[in-house]
Amino acid sequence: MNAKRNMAKEPQPREGETRQMEGLGLENVIERAQGHDAEALGEIYSRYVRRVFGLCRYMLNSRESAEDATSEVFLKLQRSIDSYDSSIPFPRWLLRVAGNQCIDALRRGQRGLKVFVEVEDGAAVIEAASSEPSPLGAVISKQERAQVRDTITRLPENYRVPLVLRYYGELSYNEIAQELSLERNNVAALIFRAKQELRRRLAPRSK
Amino acid sequence: MECYSEQTCALAVDGELAPDEAQRLRDHLATCRRCRDLVDALRAENRVLSESLHELPEEAASPAGFSHLRKSRVWGDLAVLAAVLALGSIGLIWFNELSIPAALEWFNPFSASGRTNLLFSLFDLFPTGGTAMLTDYAAVVGFLSLLLLLVAGALLLGRGRLRQPGLRLLIVLLALSLPSFALERRRSDFVTVAANETVDDTLLAAGNTVRIEGVVNGDLLAFGRTVEVRGTVKGDLVSLAKRTVVSGTVEGRIYTFSESLDLDGLLGHNLYGFAQNLRVNDRGRVGEGILAAAGDVTIEGEVKRSVDLLTSGNADVSGSIGRDLTMSGVSLTLTNTARIGGNLNAHLRQLKEAHIADGATITGKRDIQVKVRQSQFTRPRFYFHQAVWFAAAMLVGWLGLLLFPSFFRVTTQAVGLGWLSLGLGLGVLAGVPVAMVVAAITLIGIPISLMLFAVYLAAIYLAKVFVGAFLGRMLLKPAGATKGDWMLGLLVGLLILTIVGFIPYLGGLVRLGVVCLGLGAFVGQLYRGSRPVITA
Repeated sequence: MNAKRNMAKEPQPREGETRQMEGLGLENVIERAQGHDAEALGEIYSRYVRRVFGLCRYMLNSRESAEDATSEVFLKLQRSIDSYDSSIPFPRWLLRVAGNQCIDALRRGQRGLKVFVEVEDGAAVIEAASSEPSPLGAVISKQERAQVRDTITRLPENYRVPLVLRYYGELSYNEIAQELSLERNNVAALIFRAKQELRRRLAPRSK
Repeated sequence: MECYSEQTCALAVDGELAPDEAQRLRDHLATCRRCRDLVDALRAENRVLSESLHELPEEAASPAGFSHLRKSRVWGDLAVLAAVLALGSIGLIWFNELSIPAALEWFNPFSASGRTNLLFSLFDLFPTGGTAMLTDYAAVVGFLSLLLLLVAGALLLGRGRLRQPGLRLLIVLLALSLPSFALERRRSDFVTVAANETVDDTLLAAGNTVRIEGVVNGDLLAFGRTVEVRGTVKGDLVSLAKRTVVSGTVEGRIYTFSESLDLDGLLGHNLYGFAQNLRVNDRGRVGEGILAAAGDVTIEGEVKRSVDLLTSGNADVSGSIGRDLTMSGVSLTLTNTARIGGNLNAHLRQLKEAHIADGATITGKRDIQVKVRQSQFTRPRFYFHQAVWFAAAMLVGWLGLLLFPSFFRVTTQAVGLGWLSLGLGLGVLAGVPVAMVVAAITLIGIPISLMLFAVYLAAIYLAKVFVGAFLGRMLLKPAGATKGDWMLGLLVGLLILTIVGFIPYLGGLVRLGVVCLGLGAFVGQLYRGSRPVITA
């Protein structure tokens, strides 16, 4: 006997509606989610859970803590979605929330130690690099990209987190600075150094 | 004009330079090749960074966020669960196919109530006489059983591809079979570890009541009518009991095969259970997930990760589940206080059996599926399967007749003993699983139990061949007794049995009758065959 699958949400079958939700524009879904529509929240979850989990995975050390953070983000979303005012794109806003969650988790893990230390402005590190092309620029193959990813996950938190927030979360320097409670200059310096460190680590392998 | 620093160029590429400065840089780039190259290189670098990061690694890119990978783990866990805890219930899946009508459910030793009664009554007997056997076995049979266990374990756990929990469990089993391992054995009517006592090794406890009030630093393997953990078990708890109650702390995992399991205290990791009643009370905390096959499940406390349930009854959730809830059963109730941190996936028989309170929090998607039975007769695959099934049975009959001619003929005739065969078959059908469980309980007996199981399945399969051949003979009444006649009889008989088997309700009963008759004749002949042969 084969089980035929019926999609439904609540005790009443609402197949049509579920389909409809999938085709709806993001604004509509968000609007409905702000009215605490469980289905709309579920839709947001299924659209963004990968993105959010990806960010958490890059930022946190273990898969499990990333899963914890992801589920925490979406749980909090049920309350915090009211505060979303569409001044910035929703995905970016959501990733900011997720970034915050991860930073909290990292700070908790460090038990009060300062995770993100400030660095002096990177003015001193102008030199070289420019004359030699970055090994990153030559990365094309899938395998090489995996190597880049792998190297990023091994960077120290101090470098990894701003880098991931910038190039995965696509947050601005200001937003990152806010999340990390640092000066914008410091964020710029951290990202700059993170890239230098990344180049350094990738250089011998790409030869 | 002086060139710009790399950092300034990087800021520009990131779009983070103030507008007027960005304009000055652009002007400069128009004239300076060196800086232009630098900016191009930085741009390429950013692109690679962003592309690399967005191409999520395999593990993170699973469709449902994180449920995909977990699922493969679930299968591994399921294998372990099935292997160790549910040996006695393996037949369940097979027997469910017989689709016995509800009115006759009591008649079926494999129905939920019949089966559990049978199994759990064993635990009453076991502590009184069986414990001596258990502990002595564990002490005496050393190295030989280690080899056997390794083979059986490898077979059971997916041909050597042991996953984490499987490996752990195997280690526990090995620890059992090796007396030299740190293992403390206690058996009496009432085994206790007092509140001020600490057991440093793994403790194997068997008794009517096993009560832990103190601390067990290793694993606890408990067999008894009632197993209570009020103190602390630092390792895993393996319990085979009528009733298991954990009100203290188990820091590892729980593997349980109990009629009822109550978790009132703390569990560090996963709970793997096979139980009639499984309950996580409001003070109960599970550090990881739950994977259980159970009659009814109640979750009032907190489960940090996912819950996967296969229930024959209801699942009531009023507590919190950190991740997904995946269940299959009759009904599902989520109260106002229920919280699910991931997706809800439920397979129910009827949509109205899902009671989800408005206040229940479900973070992810709700997916409630209803099993709709579609007539199998409309699908061509069904006929193909039947044809294969039929051909296979004929082939088995032919091979049997070729290899054991007299045994097959005599057994076919023995089906004619009617009630005698039926009664014997019923007894064997119900009795063998019990024997298997008894053998498996001793742990050392697991290989024996497995062999028994293989023979059992083979005999059940052969049953229809014998009955089919008998039925055919009865109807055709051939003059001779050649192989051809026997095969023709089998063909006709099997055809009739197959067709009758698909009549609703009656079909299930007929199939059960066929299995019993054939099994009885088979076992009867096996028994007679072991004595000096007097064949007709």
